[in-house]
This record gives sequence, C-alpha cells and structure tokens, in this order.
Amino acid sequence: MKMISFKEISAKRVYNSYMERCKKAVRTLPVRDQEECLMEVNSHIYEFLTDHGSEDEMKPLLDVLDRLGSPEETLKEIVASKKIDQATRTYNPKHLFQALVLNISNGVTYLILFLLYVLLICFPILAILKIIRPDQVGYFTSDKGTFSFGYISTPDHAKELLGYWFIPIMFAATVGIYLVIIFALRLLRKIKIKNNQHGSQTGL
Amino acid sequence: MKNDFLNNWQSQLRKGLLPLCALYILEKKSCYGYELIQELKSVFGIDVAEGTLYPLLIRLMRDGQLTHKWVEQPSGIPRKYYSVSPPGKKTLKEMKSSLSLLASKVK
Repeated sequence: MKMISFKEISAKRVYNSYMERCKKAVRTLPVRDQEECLMEVNSHIYEFLTDHGSEDEMKPLLDVLDRLGSPEETLKEIVASKKIDQATRTYNPKHLFQALVLNISNGVTYLILFLLYVLLICFPILAILKIIRPDQVGYFTSDKGTFSFGYISTPDHAKELLGYWFIPIMFAATVGIYLVIIFALRLLRKIKIKNNQHGSQTGL
Repeated sequence: MKNDFLNNWQSQLRKGLLPLCALYILEKKSCYGYELIQELKSVFGIDVAEGTLYPLLIRLMRDGQLTHKWVEQPSGIPRKYYSVSPPGKKTLKEMKSSLSLLASKVK
C-alpha cells in the first residue's frame, strides 16, 4: 500500500501514528482484509487532504482524523463482521472465540453462542478429570432419583451411570457443540441477508 | 427559532433515512467513500460523519445491498467505488414506496 507523503514532519508523525492504530485494530483479521481496511482509510485521508489542500498540512489532517474517529471504534464493526466470516470459513477455534467475543454485544443469540463455547471448553476438561478422578466425575444418579452431571465432591450416595464411556461422549459433545455454533453463525448471516433482500430494511 | 424537540426529531429522521439516501445516490452513480459524503451533503443536506457512514457501508455490503470495486488512480492511492447491487435496487424501490406512503398519509 502506498502511504501518503507529507512535507511537515509533525503531520507525518500524526498520520503514521493513526495508521499504526488502524493496523492494530484490524490485526486479528486475515491479511487480505487487513490490507483492504487500511487501503480504504488511507484513501479517505488522501481524498480529504487533496480536497482541502493548503500550505498547512496539519490542520486538514487533524480535521479528517477527527471526522474518522478513533480507529478502535470506527473499525470495530468491520472487524466483528469479517471475523465471523473467517471463523465460519476456517472452523478455527481461535477465530471462533474472537468472533464471539467481538459480537457479544450484538444480540442475545451471540451471548448464548458464547456460553455454548464456554461449555465446549468445559467438556474436554471433564473428560481429562474422569481419568484423574474417575469416582467423582461422570453422570450420577442418587437414591432420591436426582441426576448430577460433571464433577461432584461427595460421590458416596451417588451411582455413576456412564463409566469410561463418559470420555468419548464428552469429546463427541465437544465436536457437536462446535458444529452447532458454526452452523448457527452461518444461519444467522443467511437469515439476515434473506430478510434484507425481501425488503425488510425500509428505512422508516 | 426551532425548538430542541424539533431539532432532535429532524436529526433522528436524517439518521433513519441515511441508508435510503446512500442507496439513492449510489444508484445514480458509483462513488468512493469521501465522494459519497460530499454527495449526501449537497443532495440531501446531510452532514454525515465518516464514523457513521463507513459502518453503514459495511452493513450494506455484508447484507448484499452494495458491491465494490477498487479503481487505480494516477496518485497510486486507489479508490474504492461502491455501487448498488440488484438486491439493493429492489430494496431501494421498496424503501421509496414506504417513504411515499408515509408522506402521503401526513399531507
């Protein structure tokens, strides 16, 4: 990407500092998306400066950066949106976690999916704990007819039902929940596009 | 002198109509971000901040209402031109109908 050149050193420093903040704000995205975001910010600054050309480079630069707002805030939405695309495309747990954290404030569905992700982390931990503490981890039933799942501190009055089958079941549940989250995210995106194509976005 | 309530209402109205105004301009001609801001100001008198316009363009792109194309410039700094997609044209048509219907009711 071609950077904008400045005669004033102070203007160049301000510009470089802003672009660095933009780079940091988009660093979790795939390289191509990062470049596209930065190219658009750079292009906007350039067009504004060309349109407001004056001897003083600093004033129009500060004006345009002020109008663009903080990179962390302005680029937040694009990063959150592109992160979901990346997570559903790559199936990468790291990208999925980042996508859910970035979108957690975008509706209760994302919050539920985030809680499912937390559950997803708990299941393999329980599978490992089953090996270490087989008597205290599993699916228990008590004399009173109640059921407990997970780790219990007093297994004396409870009977474990699954035995070591608990381990593969936990891993299968982990994979199942993971796929549920991915497909739920894809479905959310599809529903949104479909709704908009049917003209639900009517402005008023 | 306008009262605060009216000022606030007008500001909300402009904000609500921004997707329609942006699609309206982009249907007439493809624009890059900065150019669209200037057009919104000259055609509709809406002074929209970049921090508002770009997230809107992102949402419209994500929802399939817009398409974009990078066009190289002699300066070496390319422009990203936005255009209305076929679903976007359909949406715009329905938005215009909704607005006309509402306007006709309050005449």
